[in-house]
Amino acid sequence: MPEQPFIEFADIWKSYGEGEAQVNALAGANLRIGSGEFVTIMGPSGSGKSTAMNIIGCLDTPTSGDYRFMGVDAGRLDRARRAVLRNLYVGFVFQGYNLLARTSAIDNVELPLIYRGAPRRERKIRAAAALERVGLSDRIAHTPAELSGGQQQRVAIARAIVTEPTLLVADEPTGNLDTARSHEIMSLLTRLNQERGLTIVMVTHEAEIAAYGSRIIRFVDGHIASDEQNKDRPHVS
Amino acid sequence: MFLETVSLALSSIRRNALRSFLTLLGIVIGVAAVIAMITIGSGTTERVKADISKLGSNLLTVRSGQPPTPGSAPSKARDFEVKHLTALEANLAGARAISGASQKTVRIVYGTESLSASVTGTDTDFFTVRDWAVALGRTFTGQETRGGIPVCVIGETVRKQFFGSGDPLGAIIRVARVNCPVIGLLESKGTSGFGQDQDNVIIMPMQAFQRRIAGNNEVDTIYVSALDTVPTTEMQKRIETAMREIRKIGPDQDDDFNVRDQTQIANAMTSTMGVMTGMLSAVAGVSLLVGGIGIMNIMLVSVTERTREIGIRLAIGAQEWHILTQFIVEATVLALLGGIFGIGLGLGLAAIASYAFAIPFNPSLSVIALAASFSAVIGLVFGFFPALRGARLNPIDALRHE
Repeated sequence: MPEQPFIEFADIWKSYGEGEAQVNALAGANLRIGSGEFVTIMGPSGSGKSTAMNIIGCLDTPTSGDYRFMGVDAGRLDRARRAVLRNLYVGFVFQGYNLLARTSAIDNVELPLIYRGAPRRERKIRAAAALERVGLSDRIAHTPAELSGGQQQRVAIARAIVTEPTLLVADEPTGNLDTARSHEIMSLLTRLNQERGLTIVMVTHEAEIAAYGSRIIRFVDGHIASDEQNKDRPHVS
Repeated sequence: MFLETVSLALSSIRRNALRSFLTLLGIVIGVAAVIAMITIGSGTTERVKADISKLGSNLLTVRSGQPPTPGSAPSKARDFEVKHLTALEANLAGARAISGASQKTVRIVYGTESLSASVTGTDTDFFTVRDWAVALGRTFTGQETRGGIPVCVIGETVRKQFFGSGDPLGAIIRVARVNCPVIGLLESKGTSGFGQDQDNVIIMPMQAFQRRIAGNNEVDTIYVSALDTVPTTEMQKRIETAMREIRKIGPDQDDDFNVRDQTQIANAMTSTMGVMTGMLSAVAGVSLLVGGIGIMNIMLVSVTERTREIGIRLAIGAQEWHILTQFIVEATVLALLGGIFGIGLGLGLAAIASYAFAIPFNPSLSVIALAASFSAVIGLVFGFFPALRGARLNPIDALRHE
């Protein structure tokens, strides 16, 4: 019996609108991602890459087709069960950081643990450890307004990994950062992938950033146009 | 978890302090009105009851006409006359004293000074039934009563106005153009529970009053003071029987007079207070409703403003009920704060009123607790819809919200 893939898309369609105005964001996408891969998704806007990422992250469900995440039929779970799945196994990193304003770094990082019902002491210890992993031990009491863009994105990464997820979903994580900060963030994600075996699915439109992935997938018109292994990954110390 | 939700709510309220305060005004005013009304109302009732118990519980009051009922005009009936009073005195057993009295407010002049005072025409038993003694001088003699000689016993307020703290005895004052020598000064009774000055009075013999001042033979009120051995209800029955006889009322006819004891009068006053309190409470209820709508409105604004925050929370694993709880707690804390401010303001107003009108200040703990929980319930009810709207947001759309 073949091994159950970590992520599996089988003929996935996602449609918006009805009748004449119907738009297919995904039109029969098939995809398999194994545990421990670092996949970057590229493609023009409207190609379906964000829709695919939302389904992978269990934020959205397909109109038809099967989506299996860690062997679970995640495409047919209700809202509440998908929230549990996200809380336990998925970390999110967004382009705009999406930290809570006027809330300290450590309070932002512990947020997913609150919804898991973890006791306060445990939350603080784990949040501090996550901030240490992203190199922000000296900034735990700072609010987002007191941090640079790169630092805010590192707080967001700490929030994504504090729950020890199996999957990290990143949507243009370097979109708001300059070149030097972008490479810092990508090095951090690469290390999380290599050292912890964290599976990462990242959407980007910059070739230089996409090059960090071990596999690059291109979407066009809701289909996967190309899917290749990447041999030229930048060296990460 | 719960404490954290409350502290989250408090910090969110603090962040928009002015907006939160303005939202709360409706609830603050509503709760303050209820608390002030009930506290002042219960103080007044207590004061009235205390005043009445000073009169003695065995005092009965007989007036002509049916007792007034809410919603109908007092019925007219034949007035009492002195002959009724005399007949009652002759036919009633168990009375310690019986006294008739009539009243009229007239202008009193002494030298260049003048004032308006209530003049009562009565007999010497009046001082017994009303438990009212003279501080200086004397009451009427039987000869003065029978002869219709105008003599005056004056109240403290009248003395102060005309004589300061000096001796009024022997002075001649003009009571509605009748020259009247002052023979006595009443003990001071102060202000009644309804703010009436009980010392702005003049007492004179009934005959003199009827002939020279009122110009008729009417007796407004008959007071009966029962002996301690006769229960008030028994006395009331005896008076009714005697009066039906005296007034020649047939067996199938209604009484054309009414007999009431002091508790009945107190109850009538208290029920009047109750109606007033009820009406004002209804107005306050409308204010609370408006306050609740204000809270709903501001919570809808808050949910819209924090759409992105809700998106983040939902994305990282918050359940709908987490978001629902967060916003309901925020609305409830907001409303409860309004309730607490309102209780403070209401008690303050009641304290000022009790000082100004000399009524007791005794706030009721149960009313305060009720007001606080009622305002919390308003937050709960009116916060539910906005919170539900927040909780039902789609995380993807919420994250995209600018």
